[in-house]
Amino acid sequence: MSARIRMVMWLFMLILSLSPTTRLAAHHSGTMFEEKKTVTLEGVVREFQYTNPHSWLLVDVTNKDGSVTTWGFEAEGPSTLARAGIKPGDFAVGTRLSITGRPMKDGRPAATWEYAVRAKDKKRFEPREGFKVK
Amino acid sequence: MTRVTKTLLAAALLVIVTAALVWSARSEDPAQRKARMTELGLQHKTATDLYRALEQTAGGGRRLAWNGMPDWSGVYTRARGGITFDPDQRPGTPPTAKLTPEYQGRMIKRIELATQGVEWDPISACAPPGHPRWLTEPFLREFIVTPNQTWLINEMVNDIRRVYTDGRGHVPEADRYPLYNGDSIGFWDGSRLVIHTNQLQAGIYQRRNPDYTDAVETVEIWEKTTDALLEVDVWVYDPPALVEPWYTRQSYSRLDDPDKSLRIRYWNCSENQNNTVFKTQDGATQFQDLTFTGQDDTKGAAK
Repeated sequence: MSARIRMVMWLFMLILSLSPTTRLAAHHSGTMFEEKKTVTLEGVVREFQYTNPHSWLLVDVTNKDGSVTTWGFEAEGPSTLARAGIKPGDFAVGTRLSITGRPMKDGRPAATWEYAVRAKDKKRFEPREGFKVK
Repeated sequence: MTRVTKTLLAAALLVIVTAALVWSARSEDPAQRKARMTELGLQHKTATDLYRALEQTAGGGRRLAWNGMPDWSGVYTRARGGITFDPDQRPGTPPTAKLTPEYQGRMIKRIELATQGVEWDPISACAPPGHPRWLTEPFLREFIVTPNQTWLINEMVNDIRRVYTDGRGHVPEADRYPLYNGDSIGFWDGSRLVIHTNQLQAGIYQRRNPDYTDAVETVEIWEKTTDALLEVDVWVYDPPALVEPWYTRQSYSRLDDPDKSLRIRYWNCSENQNNTVFKTQDGATQFQDLTFTGQDDTKGAAK
């Protein structure tokens, strides 16, 4: 095996070893979101779109200057959310929560929904729990 | 010994070897089993050859009757493998398929680009995954067995594979055209369902996995191995892309559902505008127009 081929193979394996585990971002690729960087915001539920292939939790977040930005947090579809114990009624309009996700790379106010904590009872909701085989 | 006699002896030997390989694989550890089943694929040049050998081994197979049906009821999901085609692929290593140089190059390129954040999935515009990718999707599944057909259902885009077990053959070659899930015929060998699928169309096995071509065909052996587990031996034949059949062992677990809350609903892939994506000029995926922000007019949108 030539030194050049060995170098190419080594580089390929290095890239593979550095790549993150493929996320279960169903339907479309999730590469528009940051891979590791996360953002945690507090806000009030504006709307819970419980839809296929992805659901969206829209949250109104009050900024330091008093303005309000609506953020969208993308999660799995209804059956996976149901398996994670997340139902439409858990996030009625006006529900206060803290939510953590990986934000979009282009700066738009959207992120993956990694986990949310409801203010009234501190209950944690993690959509990808729905992929666990139980 | 005449040529006919030799041919018959060779065919008989192949059937015996096939039966021995299949039977002995039942009691082996997973690695030994995988090696043996991979060898079984190599013994047969085409998916049709393997299917016919399995059919001969089973004495032609049997037809089910309503009073003797296997119980595959319940709601299942893929037991392991995430969304890689081969569940045995270790993290940080490439897919286990033995590919032709062209398709190896394509796969490496796909993985490299995805690592850089450039990835486009062909199902992003709501097309079904197609088979054999169908085996990998991580959602809810149901398996409906009847005497003349078995339906293999994945909830994503209401995707049903119909397997005809009434003795019919495939569509005549002159009338075939590429289909997402192809044309599947099968027979029962005891409690095992053996399936041959052809007439498929090109696709990808999964993200960061290889491509397959219109020539792809599969042979599958489905069996309920425990009360809550269906396991499947899968051989993929695709000469333009694979230098040898790609054998994998897939599995589907029946989910606990004590309160009967699991239900498979109609899946409308395009019901929410916020899920609409487009392919950028460099081949990446981007949201088209998120309804909750006005920034789409200036950032990221295709307009």
